[in-house]
Amino acid sequence: MRYLLRRLGFYALAAWVSLTINFFLPRMMPGDPASRLFARITDRLRPEELEALKKVFGFSDEPLLVQYFKYLSHVLRGDLGVAVSRFPTPVIEVIGTGLFWTLLLGSVALIISFGLGNLLGIIGTWRRGGFIDSVLPPVLIFMGSFPYFWLAMLALYGLGFQLGWFPLRHAYSATLTPAFSLDFIGSVLHHLILPAGTIVLVSIGGWMLGMRNIMIGTLAEDYVVMAEAKGLPQRRIMFSYAARNAMLPVVTSFGMSLGFIVSGALLTEIVFSYPGLGYQLLSAVQNLDYPLLQGLLLMVTFAVLGANFIVDLLYLRLDPRVRVH
Amino acid sequence: MIKHNANRWLHHPHFLLQIYVVTALIVSTLFMLGSATAQEKKILTIGREGNTSFTRNFNPFSPSPLLGTFTAIYERLIIYNPTKGEIVPWLASAYKWSEDGKQLTFTVRDNVQWSDGQPFTAKDAAFSFNLRRKISAELYPYVDNVQAPDDKTVVFNFKTVYSPALYILGELPVVPEHIWKDVDDPVKFTNPDPVGTGPFTQVVNFQNQVYELHKNPYYWQEGKPAFDGIRYPAFPGNDQVTLALINGEIDWADIFIPDIDKTFIAKDPENYHYWFARTNFTAQFLMNTTVKPYDDPKVRKAVNMAINREQIVKVAMFGYTRPADCTGLSDAFNTWKNPEACKNDWTKYNPDEANKLLDEAGLKKGADGFRTMSDGTPIKGEILVGAPSTDWVASSQIIAQNLKAVGLDVTVKAQDWGFVIEQKQKGQFTMAHSWSSYGATPFDYYRGTMSSQTFQPVGTVTNENYHRYVNADADKLLDEFAATFDLGKQKEIMNRIQVIFAENAPTAPLFPSPEWGEYNTKRFTGFPNADNQYATLASRASTAVIVLTTVKPK
Repeated sequence: MRYLLRRLGFYALAAWVSLTINFFLPRMMPGDPASRLFARITDRLRPEELEALKKVFGFSDEPLLVQYFKYLSHVLRGDLGVAVSRFPTPVIEVIGTGLFWTLLLGSVALIISFGLGNLLGIIGTWRRGGFIDSVLPPVLIFMGSFPYFWLAMLALYGLGFQLGWFPLRHAYSATLTPAFSLDFIGSVLHHLILPAGTIVLVSIGGWMLGMRNIMIGTLAEDYVVMAEAKGLPQRRIMFSYAARNAMLPVVTSFGMSLGFIVSGALLTEIVFSYPGLGYQLLSAVQNLDYPLLQGLLLMVTFAVLGANFIVDLLYLRLDPRVRVH
Repeated sequence: MIKHNANRWLHHPHFLLQIYVVTALIVSTLFMLGSATAQEKKILTIGREGNTSFTRNFNPFSPSPLLGTFTAIYERLIIYNPTKGEIVPWLASAYKWSEDGKQLTFTVRDNVQWSDGQPFTAKDAAFSFNLRRKISAELYPYVDNVQAPDDKTVVFNFKTVYSPALYILGELPVVPEHIWKDVDDPVKFTNPDPVGTGPFTQVVNFQNQVYELHKNPYYWQEGKPAFDGIRYPAFPGNDQVTLALINGEIDWADIFIPDIDKTFIAKDPENYHYWFARTNFTAQFLMNTTVKPYDDPKVRKAVNMAINREQIVKVAMFGYTRPADCTGLSDAFNTWKNPEACKNDWTKYNPDEANKLLDEAGLKKGADGFRTMSDGTPIKGEILVGAPSTDWVASSQIIAQNLKAVGLDVTVKAQDWGFVIEQKQKGQFTMAHSWSSYGATPFDYYRGTMSSQTFQPVGTVTNENYHRYVNADADKLLDEFAATFDLGKQKEIMNRIQVIFAENAPTAPLFPSPEWGEYNTKRFTGFPNADNQYATLASRASTAVIVLTTVKPK
């Protein structure tokens, strides 16, 4: 219990620090948000109309500290403001349009690469020197070293355009409406294969190598030798004892990665026109859209903190040493 | 029992016939189902980049309403077609200036309805103008007020005579008074279910990655539009649109495609077409005239002569356009060009003459081959350009090479457009690869390059005249132009303005920027092209609605 409370206190502090940095950092970027906004729309409005609109946006001239406390009070109320670059849509709505797809893409890719990578790592150490152990890690790391953008475009062009096996863009077919139908879910999955697949391809090597290295260390432990001496079957030793201990550091990494899913996979979204939040974040930075930028960063912050908290809870379950403390 | 019956059936004399009949029935049913889906709606897909996801905002008064707001939902009184240089009457069937030029009267049609069935009247047009002015008070300072004395007449009363106002006021989108008078905050309103007079007003299947606008049930042009709807998928960048174009999934797009004959047309020469009308703004190389030595017209002319426009057009622009001349005017203004203005055309590539002029201006070459000011300060320049615009980046690189060859130490600084535009707006740059002001007559171009009305000191934001050049003679002439309606007099004034431009070289016009346009005739025909210039292929221009009401499904 005390452990939990201490952790919660830590997270509250971390959250406040993040909020503060969240507020001040974008404002430290060089540039003037008003000009950026008008830079985007010069082709649609006449020059004098741009000038006149400035008043409408009410770019604030109040002292920074006053703005900061106003921002804090708004956040506590759940009001994230209006996205300047997508005026007058509220920030929450802008985030809402892409959040689900970002989460879907990120979590599917993460779970597959995590699950598959760790499994391969475990099996590889089981058969040290075998095919999986010798060939796969270097091959997968090699694949992961390719620039992701290039790999993604290659996949899109080759598998999508030339062979026509996969759709070229978006999260589901343009003629469908979201519904709990087989049609729709099938379309979503079909559209997910290339984007998630390319992410898995470049990240699986890392998980496999990480798990493999920890497992090798674990296998040298005394209790493994004892289990073998006691005559337990290899598979039982591998999964019930060695892997269970090796999992701990891996779970921490997983927690971190889980949090960052929310920041979106920018390159994936651009190449596959996947309607997520990554591009929104880039666009918010380019347009110096403080409210949207703050809103997105806030989400990332809280997601990472939240994921970390869940990992802490998981640790209580996984690692008895923590419970005793 | 069953087995016995089955056995009997298998040995029935007409067993095979029965099989055939049943198969035929099944096949024809499937075929009918198939053709039932062929009666699906005919939707035109438009490709536009810059979005990964859409938020539902169709408000014409907000800074970034969705695609289709200005071209399919709301319409204007008149439309100016730059390819033919003519005004197309639209919601207004006629317009007239008063004798003294202080009154502009539009006669609107009486057979127009809003998409909710209410009748459209002149009062809607007057209301739209007043609402726009309420939102931003500094707009249209030359207009005193607007009246709608009856349902068919809109009268603008002017404070000062301003002839270019015809195009500005005539092209304002008209919104329905009966809806907008009840809107509390017209700028914060997202207008999710718009009511307009345009051909496609019904928002159907709005998703964050694609949305469709379907036919206006009360559209005023009989039998139009000829198809059911338009679809806008979200594309983050040019690459995604290009891929969709090549794959035949888009019917109409207006993006830059490098080497288009090989990349796009070759994939289906029968159906894939493009037309780049040279009627858009003039791409210009700007020199900040508040920075020495670019305040000296000799230096500016030398820079002009040092630039190899042929190479830029051929290499950076893939031959899609032509070099500019010393009037700086695009093909939209061929009837305005003064043939006398370019007797000594400094847009002709002449590095020797450029070197001579730079020497004469006192910019001696140092030991490293680069020129310095007369007092020895080195001259360094950075060309600001937006990194995503690969054609302009290539063009800037050619210019940097050209200028280095005459001893000016110039490099290219490609950044993201937001940053570049901000620097230009504030005048905090030495050189930039930029656009120009643009309108129905050359008035806008010269006003944006030489007028005190577009000038702001360095540090203050301006949206035109980034290079901050002012010419008092040009000022006077521009005012005279705006004060007259006589086309002959206007042309005479414009001739003199062009001479001033040629004498002073305020900028370095590079090439008329093409109005990009690609289309696919597999499902639809009737797009404008070089043989049929009823509009341009720009999907966001005011002429786009003419395209939408002319194109027919095959």
